[in-house]
Amino acid sequence: MTAIVGHSAALLGFLASTGGLLFLVVGLVRKRSDLIRASWTWVWGVVGAAVLGFGAMEVALVRHDFSMQYVADNGSRSTPLLYTVASAWSALEGSILLWVLVLSIYLAALSLRHRAQRHDPVFGWALAVMLVVAGFFFLLLLGPANPFHTVHGAIPTDGPGPNPLLQNHPLMAFHPPILYAGYVGFTVPFAFAIASLITGRVDEAWVLAMRRWTLVAFGLLSVGIVLGAWWSYEVLGWGGFWAWDPVENASFLPWLTATAYLHSVLVQERRGMLRVWNLSLVTATFALTILGTFLTRSGVLDSVHSFTESGIGPMLLGFFAVIVVVVCGLLAWRGDALRSPGTIDSPVSRESAFLVNNLLFAAFAFVVLLGTVFPLIAEALNNSRLTIGRPYFDRMTGPIGLALLFMMAVAPALPWRKASTGVLRDRLLVPAWAAGITLVVLVAFGMRSVAALLAFSLGAFAGAAALRQLVLAARASRRAGDPLWRGVAGRANGGMVVHLGVVVLAMGFAASMSFVQRDEIRMHPGQTAKVGRHHVTYVGVDTKKYPNHTAVRAAVRIDNDRIFRPALSTFPFATQAIGTPSVRGGVFDDVYLTLVSPPTTRGGTAVIGVVVTPLVNWLWAGGAIIAIGTGLALVPGKRRRRPTAPASEPFATDVPEPEAVPV
Amino acid sequence: MTGKRVAWLALGLVVIATLAFAAFGDAGHNSSPARRADSISRGVRCPTCRGQSVAESAAPAAQAIRTEIRRRVNAGQSRDQIEAYLEGRYGSDILLTPPNSGIGAFVWIVPIVAVVGAAAGLGLALQRWSRRSLAHPTEEDRALVEGL
Amino acid sequence: MKRRRVAPWIAGAVGLVLIGVIAVAATSSPAESRIATSPLLGRAAPAARGAVVSGPPATLADMRGKWVLVNFFATWCVPCRREHPELVQFAARHAKADDAGVLQVVYGDRVPTVQSFLNKNGGPWTVLDDPKGAIALDWGVRGLPESYLVDPDGVVQAKITGGATADGLESLLKKVERSS
Repeated sequence: MTAIVGHSAALLGFLASTGGLLFLVVGLVRKRSDLIRASWTWVWGVVGAAVLGFGAMEVALVRHDFSMQYVADNGSRSTPLLYTVASAWSALEGSILLWVLVLSIYLAALSLRHRAQRHDPVFGWALAVMLVVAGFFFLLLLGPANPFHTVHGAIPTDGPGPNPLLQNHPLMAFHPPILYAGYVGFTVPFAFAIASLITGRVDEAWVLAMRRWTLVAFGLLSVGIVLGAWWSYEVLGWGGFWAWDPVENASFLPWLTATAYLHSVLVQERRGMLRVWNLSLVTATFALTILGTFLTRSGVLDSVHSFTESGIGPMLLGFFAVIVVVVCGLLAWRGDALRSPGTIDSPVSRESAFLVNNLLFAAFAFVVLLGTVFPLIAEALNNSRLTIGRPYFDRMTGPIGLALLFMMAVAPALPWRKASTGVLRDRLLVPAWAAGITLVVLVAFGMRSVAALLAFSLGAFAGAAALRQLVLAARASRRAGDPLWRGVAGRANGGMVVHLGVVVLAMGFAASMSFVQRDEIRMHPGQTAKVGRHHVTYVGVDTKKYPNHTAVRAAVRIDNDRIFRPALSTFPFATQAIGTPSVRGGVFDDVYLTLVSPPTTRGGTAVIGVVVTPLVNWLWAGGAIIAIGTGLALVPGKRRRRPTAPASEPFATDVPEPEAVPV
Repeated sequence: MTGKRVAWLALGLVVIATLAFAAFGDAGHNSSPARRADSISRGVRCPTCRGQSVAESAAPAAQAIRTEIRRRVNAGQSRDQIEAYLEGRYGSDILLTPPNSGIGAFVWIVPIVAVVGAAAGLGLALQRWSRRSLAHPTEEDRALVEGL
Repeated sequence: MKRRRVAPWIAGAVGLVLIGVIAVAATSSPAESRIATSPLLGRAAPAARGAVVSGPPATLADMRGKWVLVNFFATWCVPCRREHPELVQFAARHAKADDAGVLQVVYGDRVPTVQSFLNKNGGPWTVLDDPKGAIALDWGVRGLPESYLVDPDGVVQAKITGGATADGLESLLKKVERSS
């Protein structure tokens, strides 16, 4: 029954999106507002269908309706409710269903938010693009990724449950939806970009609207990526959180291009420049989400998280090809007309800092993309097989990351148009001293790695620069008698909070990459070993039954304090016991324990894996700060410019020390 | 000389002094066999896992390769010899780093060429733009300004 | 100031490069099926020596003169369990002529579990234990099940990943025999 409902919902969604698209496009081309109005009803049909389809899936999962193939493959009566709900996205078909749901939520939000501008052709075309994308994903649900197949033959009484790795940590319930919310969110700016190319209008008001939608998607994607890293850390048991794996790269690539866009669009707002470049970045971001989905869902690349192979690959690749052709065609057609005659006055100015920033982000994205797809290219061209792994990515992206940290410190201090050395000397003094002191302290403590010293000093430089701006803004808002949070709200200051978050995260990344200590120790009960500055004592082992699995747990005491229990969990239907690490987090370092092999005899020796990683918690804290900063950036700031103010509005060259530097 | 200038100068001196201290106080590269083995392990892909190096993975295959690398390092083999041995067993994709010869060189060279080229292009454009903006305002511009 | 038309050129170039990438992606085979090559092919088989878990005590070297299927397996590996009866059938077909045999290597499993599995499911051949994964390392094993076909001269002729079938092995054997 639920299968029928779900299947009809997918069909309804596909029909509603094609129907709505038809009305909309004919209405837009013929300038018939009645047709355009009619299409809005179809839009709600799309939204309703997606909600219905996803609802049907959840109902089937929660009620253990094993007559549905997806439930029979991924559900189990013994799985706790949280993971049962989450198993809606633990396999390929369900993940496409989640994609459709998220996309339709954006569709609804977009329609509601821009109700007033509905007759604007730019909005109309944007809606049409959204409907094309929605239609494509409904088509996937009807074809190769149909989650509503019914079981052939006898209906099983129970199922295997989701993959053990996916029912081992509560983060699994939150990480994928948030990641998707970010990933799919880039459809909105993409739709606006295509709409401005089709209409030939680069309306500054829509640029502003587009920027906010991108900001929402950026914030959600950032949180999604960090939660994904956290999940890997807590579940996968190797003590790391980021392996430059294709799936990780697939989520990181759009983040890079979106971040580049969020910076370069400011140049467009201020100076009217870089329009075509910005449109390219936005479309590239969306195209990368589709390419990433193809790479990770089609089985052409090996990955920790890859879904099983399916017929979905060719369709995604075809869709990517269509996007490439359409976007390149539109850019070739309209590109020159949209170019603006603006120029940059001085190489030492905010504008050129943004250009350098974009160069760095583009290079970063290029390296990551090349490293991800190159094994395929090498095989096709040369029939040679090679792996491009962590050492390559670390070596190539490290210098770019350092350069970005440097730019993060310098750029906020630069005024628009032209900077004098005097201004820079004043504004950068405190941050530079922060960097210098950090360097001295680290050298005094014996750190000698050049890369690490550079990373931490530049981090201090960038962090202090962001803090300085925030302190100035807060002071100004106190002077004006506003509450403190008003001072740090708004785009500019929210942006500085995001910078702080990125710095905190980058420091965590640098430290955990450079100074990890790992060991595997065979220990008798009661034996103590030393790893780094920590003592671990193996106490003993016990077995505990959970509703969905059985765990052999080792009790390990860290630093004569609390006991932690890394385990080996056996799930019914699973082939091999999977490790469940246990982590003692700390501000300075984490002690990460795994049970490598349990004792074979009573009271025998066990092998305990110990990984001591510094500053891991900074990553999660950085993610939280980025989220807060993005939220603050979405709140209208104090000195918001009129969105309709012309981009070429003249600005003073010698900007006085601003209370809120517009970023 | 203003106070800020002094502060910058002092900062410069502090940084130089620290770097000099760090450079001369360096104990030298401490390359014990265990460290060398670890460094080689970090560049070898765990064949049964995906994407992780054998240094990180607890998979049996990774453990076996780690032990083998340690054994060979202790036997005095060089990094190249050990890598060649592993390539002979598993194929060239057992190494996480693409080779810097043959087609693998592409991934090392192309990004660097692209970035240097783009940076040079950007530099030239900035230079041209800033020179152009120094040009004198035209009559039209003056009229516009008057009109404001 | 007259501006040159550059957008079509840039967009066209970027588009062409991307279409090239798409063509590469469209023609590449799934990652799973790409790992059946091995640098060992055409080279002398590495030694396979270890504690005998079951069957007659032997090493690979003792089995010169006939084809040997060296199979890496574990009882926790579902495809290995599925493959097992096929290996039994393959061995039975060649038992009389004694022109081909099976040598199994245990990969990351406990000896008692393997022994009870073999008692239940058959498998009269030599089974070696490999507790440290040393044999698997020498052979470059990447996953389970994995089998290598070694010719009577002790040269590795083929590598099979994933579950093999008796008929599939038969035709592989014929193909390799013909080509060599």
